[in-house]
Amino acid sequence: MSHAASGEGIGQPIRRREDMRLITGKGQFSDDMNLPGQTYAVFLRAPHAHARIGAIDTAAALKMPGVLAVLTGKDLLADGLKPIPHTPLLAHPAEIIPENTDGTPVFTAPHYPLATDKVRFVGEAVAIVVATSIAAAKDGAEAIAIDYEPLPAVTDTVAAAAPDAPQLWDQHSNVALDARLGDAAATAAAFKRAAHVVKFKTWVQRITGVPMEPRAALSEYDPQTKRYMLHAGSGGAVRLKNDLATVLGVPSDDVRVLMYDVGGNFGTRGMIYPEFAAVAWAARRVGKPVKWLCERHEAFLCDYQGRDLAVEAELALDRDGTFLAMRGSNIGNAGAHTTNFSPLQKGVEIASSIYRMPAADFRARAVLSNTAPTRPYRSAGRPEVMYVMERLIDLACRDFGFDRVEIRRRNLIAPSELPYTNPFGMTYDSGHYREVMDRALKEGDWDGFPARRAEARARGKYRGIAVANYVDTATGQPRERTDITIRRDGVIDVVIGTVSNGQGHETTFAQCINEWFAVPVDKVNIITHDTDIVKVGGGTHSGRGMRLASYVMKIASDEIVEKGKRIAAHLLQAKPAEIDFTDGHFRVTGSNRSVGLFEVAAAALDQSDLPGELRGPLTATCDKVVKEAAFPYGAHVCEVEIDPVMGNVEIVKYTTVDDVGRAVNPMIIHGQTHGGIAQGVGQALLEHCAYNAADGQLMSGSFMDYAMPRADDFPFFDTFISEVPMPSHPLGIRPAGEGGTCPALAVTVNAIVDALADLGVRHVEMPATPERIWRAINGKKDVSIAKAEG
Amino acid sequence: MYAFDYHQPKSVDEAAQMLGAKPEPKLLAGGMSLLPTLKLRLAQYTDLVDLSAIDSIKGIERDGDALVIGAMTRHVEVATSDTVKRAIPALTTLAGGIGDPLVRNRGTMGGSIANADPAADYPSAVLGLGATVITDKRQIAGDDFFKGLFETALEPGEIVMAVRYPVPLQAAYIKYPNPASRFALVGVFVARTAAGVRVAVTGAGPCVFRLTDAEALLAKNFSAAALENFTVKPDGLNADIHATAEYRAHAVAVMLKRAVAAAGGNT
Repeated sequence: MSHAASGEGIGQPIRRREDMRLITGKGQFSDDMNLPGQTYAVFLRAPHAHARIGAIDTAAALKMPGVLAVLTGKDLLADGLKPIPHTPLLAHPAEIIPENTDGTPVFTAPHYPLATDKVRFVGEAVAIVVATSIAAAKDGAEAIAIDYEPLPAVTDTVAAAAPDAPQLWDQHSNVALDARLGDAAATAAAFKRAAHVVKFKTWVQRITGVPMEPRAALSEYDPQTKRYMLHAGSGGAVRLKNDLATVLGVPSDDVRVLMYDVGGNFGTRGMIYPEFAAVAWAARRVGKPVKWLCERHEAFLCDYQGRDLAVEAELALDRDGTFLAMRGSNIGNAGAHTTNFSPLQKGVEIASSIYRMPAADFRARAVLSNTAPTRPYRSAGRPEVMYVMERLIDLACRDFGFDRVEIRRRNLIAPSELPYTNPFGMTYDSGHYREVMDRALKEGDWDGFPARRAEARARGKYRGIAVANYVDTATGQPRERTDITIRRDGVIDVVIGTVSNGQGHETTFAQCINEWFAVPVDKVNIITHDTDIVKVGGGTHSGRGMRLASYVMKIASDEIVEKGKRIAAHLLQAKPAEIDFTDGHFRVTGSNRSVGLFEVAAAALDQSDLPGELRGPLTATCDKVVKEAAFPYGAHVCEVEIDPVMGNVEIVKYTTVDDVGRAVNPMIIHGQTHGGIAQGVGQALLEHCAYNAADGQLMSGSFMDYAMPRADDFPFFDTFISEVPMPSHPLGIRPAGEGGTCPALAVTVNAIVDALADLGVRHVEMPATPERIWRAINGKKDVSIAKAEG
Repeated sequence: MYAFDYHQPKSVDEAAQMLGAKPEPKLLAGGMSLLPTLKLRLAQYTDLVDLSAIDSIKGIERDGDALVIGAMTRHVEVATSDTVKRAIPALTTLAGGIGDPLVRNRGTMGGSIANADPAADYPSAVLGLGATVITDKRQIAGDDFFKGLFETALEPGEIVMAVRYPVPLQAAYIKYPNPASRFALVGVFVARTAAGVRVAVTGAGPCVFRLTDAEALLAKNFSAAALENFTVKPDGLNADIHATAEYRAHAVAVMLKRAVAAAGGNT
């Protein structure tokens, strides 16, 4: 069948082939896996935000019926386990790597799977109990007695950076990284001659990813082969394998990681968790498979959380609204461990967005605090800085009378200026920024807004609108590999190192293969689940799934076609240069002599008269380091209506134009955008990991208190795709997964502030809850949520 | 969840006997609050006595000037009952707004009032309509039933069989939902009955309570206009990560006005 006839190739909005399996309960998630004789693990977690661990008495726990083992940090050290290998800063060749201003190395703290000396956040794992049932393991955990010496705790981002804050690690202050980026002198000079300066201070609150599938692990140790096997969902199988081997202190080939379906990642599941290593270690200790399922209340406590950035920023403009410079300070709250500073890094380096910004000067600090560790969460770091940039622009418009659209048009980088190196050193490669914004304004009917505002006002509602631009730097692990094999039975095997966490790779990767080989999508076998097969691969993060998978798949596919042409030339008695490959057939140019792809594959296996180098499986490998970053960008327009009596916000219209370079499956991209908007608006209006500042207890520990966005919080979205090819990618693809979230914080808050402008409201912090809006309208002081607890 | 023995009696008498005979028993109605509590090991009972097989405490009946709803009637049944809608449409709204469809399919009226969650919806109807709680031992006036946070007038071993709601002249329930749980951040039940005007507030305080000063204003003039200058003091109201006492006090006044309007108050 021709791919044109099948309608499944690149650009086709076909339905996801995995969905029927997933929605009929036939998915194979980690908790669906079971092994004969398996036992169950439960973790005892820290009740204190900060405390020294004294004596641990496990005797009573070990006597509980069914309890097989109780292991603590002391046992872990005795067994020689290593800390989790963290590389908090991303070393991708296209990234700016911040360094400490004083020249000292960036602090990394040892993060053991179980706390050894102190507990540093509520929910940190202190002991693992293995038993014949979950209930027995819980009984055991309750019977453990621990002497804690509670210590003062700090959870607030700015407070944690203060010199007199309670210090988490004896060997270093809480400020693990203190860098400065940009050009301080040029920036100071620009501010000096600026006609206008606008200032903005905010806190991008901490939220959490809440994947639908909670974490789970099932591990088995084989004493014969000395190999560990772990079933656990993650952003990538290969990295999890390598990190697990490091913690266990074994060669990486002694670990096999398996993951079939993964129910959501968003960065939350992007790397190894302490529990995964503890479960594998426990499986060796008890000599039986050990299974663990993270309960939802545990997920709220100790899933890696996201955002949490304290910002002070200023923008300098000349008389006509041209941007001259920006400066400020970003403090990222890393939580209790030096897990990952890339949200800070990836944010600050593009803080000027896609606007022409001659100079910038930013201080970037990563601070430790008595909270769950943070790491990238959907579009790590970028939504935060886009929010700050777009708020600065709208504040400047308000203070100095600029038009919100005209000022953006004036300052957006023009296509003729690309590639453009921003004041932090990042080079944007391509894009039609103004065109995309203008399209969003048109699709969002910006010009018709005044009439809608008047109509709403007549109903007693305050209506506001905003537009926000964004750019998203996609980097991540630069290396990816695929092994593609044409099988004689009409199936193409694609082994690749990016696991789907719900993005639909089984469909979209197969659509690429369909495009090149004209084989039905159903006949493409995407293999990602087993590190004994998948040896190399960076996983799914930083907009690298489709971007890098298509990159290596294209190169490997081209190699197969070239090899196939040479085989077909033998079979058809022609010269390789005379062979065309179209619609899955090798043809002699200008004749009707042809041979199919799978016949060629069979011939390569069967025909002994072929030259040696053409015999064997028709297969190709591409293992490549992609050094370029990708820069998806776009514009969102949001329209809200506010009930001034209670402060409720209703999103009445939401329009997006996201440039994805080339859309492999537009339907899936629209779906990605919908989810991304919900996560961004969720932050703007609802979500918050609230810690009690006094004692460090988490106050949003369940869905009763953590406000997740729901379908009825949104209108139908109007999402549009722009396709300006990215020059450095063989197919022109830009990532599409993070655009929905990137400008959503900014555009939502700006729309709220616009709605309330007539009431004198200048800003509302996130989450912009009804109470916060009501307070702003009524001139009452904002009450921080944590302090409202009293 | 700690281990317990499970029982499913067929009659109220049998259930009462079990409650008397077991060391630490607990009645199980719909289980929508109890089961999560047990799963998190926040409570421990030796025996769960499941009331779901007792038909005599299920169902909805119009009885003269009252509506009698059996304790084990599920929220979905109240929300979809024509009898309820004709007699007290405010109850239709209230039951239809509890939790989500899964909760409404399992949760029961009796379970809700016996649990006395400070943010539950039903207690406001019992108090706001001046209903009578009928147990296997006695009848308890709505005004005497709710005693505090998760605390009622029920004696150990006492079983709620039904609630008798007087059919009001006008009534409405308006809830301002908690954005996370969608329980009542504030819920106001207002009713004009033969016995007078009643206003009951849930979600705002540690226990459902009446707003007697608003009742007095509405008794003179049952209209939102009568409440124009009415405000609520924040003293003693709940404060948590979702709202301050000050905002809750504001919400009570606003929801009350909206409830009076919804009840068809004079305009």
